[in-house]
Amino acid sequence: MEREVLIVGVNHRKAPVEIRERLSFADGTLEQAGRELVTLHAVDEGVIVSTCNRVEVIAVTMAGDEAVDVLINFLAAGERIAREQLAEHLSVYRGREAVRHLFRVAASLDSMVVGEPQILGQLKDCYGHAASVGSAGTVLHRCFHKSFSVAKRIRTETGVASKAVSVSSAAVELASRIFDTFEDKTALLLGAGTMSELAARHLLAHGVSSLIIANRTFERAVELAREFQGTPVPFEEFPRYLQMADVVIGSTAADGYILTPARLQETLRARNYRPMFLIDMSVPRNFDPAINDVDNVYLYDIDDLGGVAQVNREERSREAEKAEAIIEAEVEGFWKWLTSLDAVPTIVALREKMEAIRKGELEKTLATLRDLSPRHREILEAMTAAIVNKILHAPITHLKQHQREREAFYVAAARQLFDIEEPDHQ
Amino acid sequence: MTQSLLAHALAFYLLSTATCIAHVVSGQESMRRWALGLLGCAFALHASALSVQAVLLGYESVATFQEELSYIACIMIGVYLLMALFLVQRTNLTVVGALVTPLAFLFTLSAYAFDKPTAELPPQLQNIWLPAHVAPAFLGYAIFALAFCMSVIYLLQEKQLKGKRKSDLFRRLPSLETLDHLNHRFVSWGFALFTVGIITGTLLAKETWGALWSWQPVEVASATTWVLYALLMHARNTGWRGRRAATLTIVGFVVLLVSFLSVNLVFPGKHTGSFD
Repeated sequence: MEREVLIVGVNHRKAPVEIRERLSFADGTLEQAGRELVTLHAVDEGVIVSTCNRVEVIAVTMAGDEAVDVLINFLAAGERIAREQLAEHLSVYRGREAVRHLFRVAASLDSMVVGEPQILGQLKDCYGHAASVGSAGTVLHRCFHKSFSVAKRIRTETGVASKAVSVSSAAVELASRIFDTFEDKTALLLGAGTMSELAARHLLAHGVSSLIIANRTFERAVELAREFQGTPVPFEEFPRYLQMADVVIGSTAADGYILTPARLQETLRARNYRPMFLIDMSVPRNFDPAINDVDNVYLYDIDDLGGVAQVNREERSREAEKAEAIIEAEVEGFWKWLTSLDAVPTIVALREKMEAIRKGELEKTLATLRDLSPRHREILEAMTAAIVNKILHAPITHLKQHQREREAFYVAAARQLFDIEEPDHQ
Repeated sequence: MTQSLLAHALAFYLLSTATCIAHVVSGQESMRRWALGLLGCAFALHASALSVQAVLLGYESVATFQEELSYIACIMIGVYLLMALFLVQRTNLTVVGALVTPLAFLFTLSAYAFDKPTAELPPQLQNIWLPAHVAPAFLGYAIFALAFCMSVIYLLQEKQLKGKRKSDLFRRLPSLETLDHLNHRFVSWGFALFTVGIITGTLLAKETWGALWSWQPVEVASATTWVLYALLMHARNTGWRGRRAATLTIVGFVVLLVSFLSVNLVFPGKHTGSFD
């Protein structure tokens, strides 16, 4: 059976937070779990990735379908969850698909908020645990390192991450110039767009204690509120909650202004003139720019925050396309390297390389020894062939013997030692 | 002896001002520590100068206007140092220091430059009410001066935020909430002390001249300033915070300063600092 990279687990796409919670590995348990993972017969190498948005086991196996089954049992073990329930929410990625998935996760393309930078650090931590207990081997070492460099490339070459992140951190920085502490502050989200969601996430990460979410599609507000432990409210009722909000983030698709200076005057009076920070994330704008003239209210729109001309949908999807193209090329490169790790093609390549060297050197020698008889030439020919065979005998035997776990290691080593060209150029 | 101590204190005030500004411009943490350290030295020298003077004379010498300024400056720096050390983990107040320190320098400089033999304290003033009047009044003035500096910084920060200007310089200003909160606390304390100073002042007047109120310039000026700060306290309770409170604090301090100067220099009446 062929060696393959396999990912089995749950993530935010198919599994709700209750399921993810139950499966997640607590801090300090990842090492032990990693050790147990590689004792499984079907698993040659394995890394467990456990974050708040995903619990996934990335494994290298030659056991095919059987391995999927083994990994499901591994995840469900310890009566954490019933197999049937897990199966409902399970995501399985195999082969190229698995490599692509890992790269996309690292590059934050699979994040709930595309471009959020924390995931790369989390991934590195998980890989670090696996590396420390030796559950990651030749293939996963390379696969993870590749995913880190892909993430870096996407961050520098495309605008997927930078804009969203810079806008949010600018918002947090400004808020910290207005407010002394965030802990007693409330943020109100008007509209649950990606940008406002990311800004809210940043604010929560900096200590904002409560979040109110108003969205035209109420279900979406509920969904987001569940994730952030916030309070969902019907959109029409948001004016009632305005006076509670120290920070208001707007990202609705409204055509006109949903907030005016007059309303803010009123709100401010109701909240005893405590300052408010308004962030308008939408284009066209949601908040009347004249609001900025109201005392103790500070209004920033997306241009003010990032100096970004426009972070609109088309631009973001264009950047995402660029990122996907990079991923595709990198997956291809990794795949070539992975398939080259089979012993058989490596042995063939090794033989070919030695044969080419032998032939070349023999020709050079024969060119200087012109007066040799055909018989002597034959003897030389046979001798050089014998030398090559004897030298190659031990390495090739090793390569053939080490099936499974160690094969990838020996094959990779042989390729490096004998300088057999790698298909994946660095 | 006193003059030499004062001269050194002045030098340290200047050095501390320079390092405060260097920190605000460069953001270097070491500069912030240096500024605090130098200011601590200046405070120690200034306080010793005042103590030596008091020991030599046998009483706290507040007979001249310049001496009053010197005391107020010293108290102001003492309070600032306490606040800066107390809040050092939470808020970087160096930018406030960059305003307070040169102010103290100016006050002290006037005491240094107009050094003249201190006037003998009139015997009728030597009673219990004099320190009871002077101590809270000076502390109140010093605290009002600090509130003034914080209000100036508040307006700077607020203007930056409203104007959406991006400058590294202004990242190092304390947050509006911090400044407003401190301003409120300082004005409250200053007001309480100022009130006590006025009450003991009238009692002192009764003791000395036999009348609680005699329409002296100092009495009128103090009453005006008191009413202004009382209005500010009231306005804050009805929601005047932020920019308006800061502006009013600045106005209050300017009125305080003008009345203080005019009482002493333009319309001298019966008061310490102008006995004839």
